[in-house]
Amino acid sequence: MVGHTVDANQDNGARAGARSDGARTLRTVAGIVLLAGVYGLAAFFSLRLALIEENITPLWPPTGIAVAALLLFGTRWWPGIAIGALVVNLPITESLLAAVATAAGNTLAPMFAVWILRRARFRTELDRPRDVVVLLLAALIGMLVSATIGALALVLSDQVAAGEFWTSWSVWWAGDSMGVLVVAPFLLVVWNRAHHRYPPPRRLELLELFVFLAMLAAVSVFAVTAKASILFVALPFVGWASWRFEQSGAASAALLVSSAATWAAVGDRGPFQGADLVDRMITLQGFNATVAFTAFFLAALVSERARSREALERGAADLEARVQRRTTELSEANQRLAAQIAERREAESRLRRSERQLAEAHEVARIGAWEWDLASGEVTWSEEMFRIHGAEPGAFPVTFDKAMEFIAEADRPRIRRTTETALQQRKDVPDVEYRIELPDGRARHLHARSRFSLAEDGTPLRMFGIVQDVTERHEFEREHRIADTLQRSLLPASFPEMDGILIAARYLPAERGLAAGGDWYDVIALGGGRVALVIGDVAGHGLDAASLMGQLRTAVRAYALEGHAPAVVAERTDALMQEVAEDQMATLLFVALDVEARSATIVSAGHPPPITIGARGSRLLDVRLAPPLGFAPRTRFRESTASLETGDTLLLYTDGLIDRPDLAIDEGLRRVLSAAEANRDADPEELCDRVLSAMVSGDASDDIAMLALCLTPAVPGDLRLRIPAEPGALSQMRRRLARWLDAAGVPADVRGDVVLASSEAAANSIRHAYGPSKAWVELEAGVADDEVHVVVRDRGRWRAPRGRGGRGLSVIEACMHIVEIDRGAGGTEVRMRRPVRARVVR
Amino acid sequence: MSRLADLAVEEEDGAVVARITGEIDLSNAATLERAMLDTVPNTATGMVVDLTGVSYLDSAGIRMLGEMAERLRWREQRLAVVAPEGSRVRGVLTMAGAQDVVAFEDSFDSALRAVVGQG
Repeated sequence: MVGHTVDANQDNGARAGARSDGARTLRTVAGIVLLAGVYGLAAFFSLRLALIEENITPLWPPTGIAVAALLLFGTRWWPGIAIGALVVNLPITESLLAAVATAAGNTLAPMFAVWILRRARFRTELDRPRDVVVLLLAALIGMLVSATIGALALVLSDQVAAGEFWTSWSVWWAGDSMGVLVVAPFLLVVWNRAHHRYPPPRRLELLELFVFLAMLAAVSVFAVTAKASILFVALPFVGWASWRFEQSGAASAALLVSSAATWAAVGDRGPFQGADLVDRMITLQGFNATVAFTAFFLAALVSERARSREALERGAADLEARVQRRTTELSEANQRLAAQIAERREAESRLRRSERQLAEAHEVARIGAWEWDLASGEVTWSEEMFRIHGAEPGAFPVTFDKAMEFIAEADRPRIRRTTETALQQRKDVPDVEYRIELPDGRARHLHARSRFSLAEDGTPLRMFGIVQDVTERHEFEREHRIADTLQRSLLPASFPEMDGILIAARYLPAERGLAAGGDWYDVIALGGGRVALVIGDVAGHGLDAASLMGQLRTAVRAYALEGHAPAVVAERTDALMQEVAEDQMATLLFVALDVEARSATIVSAGHPPPITIGARGSRLLDVRLAPPLGFAPRTRFRESTASLETGDTLLLYTDGLIDRPDLAIDEGLRRVLSAAEANRDADPEELCDRVLSAMVSGDASDDIAMLALCLTPAVPGDLRLRIPAEPGALSQMRRRLARWLDAAGVPADVRGDVVLASSEAAANSIRHAYGPSKAWVELEAGVADDEVHVVVRDRGRWRAPRGRGGRGLSVIEACMHIVEIDRGAGGTEVRMRRPVRARVVR
Repeated sequence: MSRLADLAVEEEDGAVVARITGEIDLSNAATLERAMLDTVPNTATGMVVDLTGVSYLDSAGIRMLGEMAERLRWREQRLAVVAPEGSRVRGVLTMAGAQDVVAFEDSFDSALRAVVGQG
């Protein structure tokens, strides 16, 4: 109760300090008054235990209250003690002077004790043994003041006989000391408990404490009421309380036991029965001091041990964490080291492998290495260098002049000049190509690159380099060039112009190997609305294949133009081939197409089937297959027929498109079909490009020829345009619309009106309908029932026509017969109609 | 100058003569208008715009002519437009009711006379 009341005051006082000195003073005064009240009340009850006169009691709690209050709230609260003491002493003291003196003693003693405690750096938590010892000393020494002054005042005021001075003094001193030793710690513990200066209590701990204290109370009552002197039986319980509940247990138990003992002593009960005053005092004080000291000392010991155990545990946990961290670091470092070792081992083995590979590569690539020491004139050749020059390794000593002798006479001055210039100018030699003549008279082409190594002053020390035998490549390139040129010159440069068809063709020569030559295509106008598509592939490559291809192309063209049926053309060409090129073979696909009738007659000599692409999907045409030309004498070729539709495209190709080293033929066909299907709306030119790029990535490994023919509609279909909503796009839109109207047979004057109206509508969309973001205008035009209809559409709204901005609309209405403007939520649509024949009435 | 139309300017009898060939639409009307007005000095009696070589003209072109007429009227200068009878441009001008905003003539000579005056 006491602690709580003071607590509230202290708390508010501390907070008020920041506000104003006035409030602070007010609170201090209030605290002083409160302290005086509490002190007085405690003193009033304590005096009932008085042993000498009415003034001296064996247990004087007010001093304990005073010491605790001064410790917790500061010594400026002393007036509370002084007032309380004076009020208590006045009625029980003979003279005013004696009462004042006693009160002064009662005030000074706690002040002195607190001064000692502060000097000794006392902690109110009482959790160190030294705090308990200090408190004991401060209580005993401090209370000398009050005992001396109080006893003197009693004697001088004749309340007590002079002979009783020491008795009075000892009882006073012991009572005050016990008040400090028993009550002050209890108050401090209660205060600190309330302010969480101790670890929070466990859930059952408080209950356990109360049960325990009740037990202790019973034991104490038993001990002090028993006839025998068995006060000591309470001691184990006090020890237990201190060990179990530390400061809280010690304070409660000490107060309880001391109170019980004091009550017994005062009431002349139990063990104190019959003893004289001094004996009772000595026994009681000794007992109380022992109980208080033992209890708090034990509690402080337990606290200290708990703290040191915690510190030890924290230290151990910290150490454990550090060990773990260090272990992890070490194992990581170990792993890195292992990885580095493995890496280095790998690098070494790669190096050995690459050295071996270099030697092998030199041999395979026919690369020779040489070195020329400029100071000594000594020349060193690698083994492969000798072999390239048609000699066994080390067959002769090499010198610069000896090396020059190998070089063909025509090239020798050039090489000598290049080398000398490089030596003079001290710069790297450019790559050169030259021919050498071998002892057996054969010639070889060499490609050489060389470098200098220079001394520090820039003088050339060594010249070194490699030569590569590129004879094969030279010969091959020459033939490849000729074959390619021949091939291209034999392919048609242009196609016959016919209404209702669009034709495109591609020829892609192989990039590597002796592949050029052999593939061809041709388009022949047969007359009567008929056209022949021809594609073929002569087996083999190079010049022979290219020249045979030329002959076959001419033959097919000649037989076709003579008017022979496709099967006859194939049979005659086959027969011719048996004649001119006995052991060669060629494939041939011949398609005779009736453009008007949309029908095709097809003959295939071992050639992959054509593909049709159109509204019905993309598929391979079913064609009767005969052996290739030149396979066997008198082969019979049979025709197949196919009917096509407007918009269909026929795609002919050679096997280079589908037959690749990395692909099965079936898979190749499947891919061509899906590429064609994906581009079914493309025109023949686009179709060829897209199929080629879908099938060929990088270099072609074989020649590829393609021929595509599209059966276009006689009348153009509806026009659909989409232009960016920008003024600059209008003229392009007008041109395309005019061209389409022309193709649709719309006469010039109507055409002009329709173009003008459409352009006005689109301009309106561009001008009025759009914000800053990218936008489009769509135009659709069609002709039906001798009437042109045009729709211009955007994704915005037209603003209401303002001023002369409406002139565009009046132009539209003047040009077209029917105009509907639909301003919907999604955009504006202008629908216009105009008869093809009749003139607008103006 | 835009690709769509070409502009040639010369002076004749104190009037500025601008000959346009090509197409006039939303994309180049404003540019043409500025280019033509820039060529007219304060001393000129007026301007003749010859549309004989124009193959396409729409409301943007008519708006351009109207604004030019108004601007020149402020400066007390006259504007005459050459659009021969029967030409596509004449048809469009008539269709759009452009006679209210600008005077158009059949021939260059009559246009020049209209600008320079009787003298």
